Amino acid sequence: MKVLLVDDEVELVSAMAERLGFRDIDADWTDNGEEALKMAASTEYAVAVLDMKMPKMSGLDLMELLAKDHPTMKYVFLSGHGSETDFKAGCAAGCSYLIKPIQIEDLVAKIQEAQG
Amino acid sequence: MTQTLDTREGLQFFGRVSASVSHEIKNVFAVINEAAGLIEDLTVMAERGIPLQPDRLKGVANSIQGQIRRGDTIIKNMNAFAHSTDETVREVNFVEILDLTRALAARLADMRQIRLILGDCEPVSQLANPFDLMQLLHSSILAAIDSMDADDTLVLSVKPVNGGASFSLSVPGKDAPLKNDHVFSSTLQTMNVTVTVDENLRTTELFLPAQDATD
Repeated sequence: MKVLLVDDEVELVSAMAERLGFRDIDADWTDNGEEALKMAASTEYAVAVLDMKMPKMSGLDLMELLAKDHPTMKYVFLSGHGSETDFKAGCAAGCSYLIKPIQIEDLVAKIQEAQG
Repeated sequence: MTQTLDTREGLQFFGRVSASVSHEIKNVFAVINEAAGLIEDLTVMAERGIPLQPDRLKGVANSIQGQIRRGDTIIKNMNAFAHSTDETVREVNFVEILDLTRALAARLADMRQIRLILGDCEPVSQLANPFDLMQLLHSSILAAIDSMDADDTLVLSVKPVNGGASFSLSVPGKDAPLKNDHVFSSTLQTMNVTVTVDENLRTTELFLPAQDATD
């Protein structure tokens, strides 16, 4: 299973990818939505883990674009705050989210749950 | 008695800045949390016989130290902002307050991929309500950002003019970012600030007259 991580905090997302690797989850990462679209075009990802708030393109906007070309991709969102307003407004049923700072085991569980 | 800005607007401004700052701090904690988790993972692997590389640990330690410096700056700025409500009117260093407001608005600008930088500033200090002044500058910066494109840079400056002070906003290569009739006209009126646009310099100027100590 390949996982795509997208968060504008480079040190966060690179460490997260490495830690997922230690848990046998093959994760690629990038710090922006445009690059994420390019990566998804050349690699098949089962799950995308997206930060809600990123410069230029939010996690929800990125999900909409990814979903057009990758209808089976599943999503886990990372948010800095507990407000569910934006999340519920923009995310279809089946998405899940975690509030930062996260526990890696919780992320692993969400990824596995999303994959089904 | 000095006239101050509308309380509700002031609270909204305070809330907006606090929300932005708390989000930044959350990010700092999130990165530190992940770095600490990585150290833990590397340690567990070492216990299982996989050699621990000193350079790897050093890199993670540097990351944590960098985030602590970042968090410290954020907290210092938030503390200075909070203390801007201590006195209604005091002698204010306008260069410092402009730079502080720039720093507090930086994350909002980052989200739009806009850089905020301090341009040429001349030393100027005068009596002012620091909180109201920050509210005015912050509103001006956000309004300017609304008229800008991604990858633009907003240059902020201040200099003494006619006993008062003039703050300027400009976007290199573009027209002046704000026009006279902008949305915070009530704020301008309350603070007796006038806005002018220098078409030649492509700069918006906010002129704040000197305030009388007995105001």
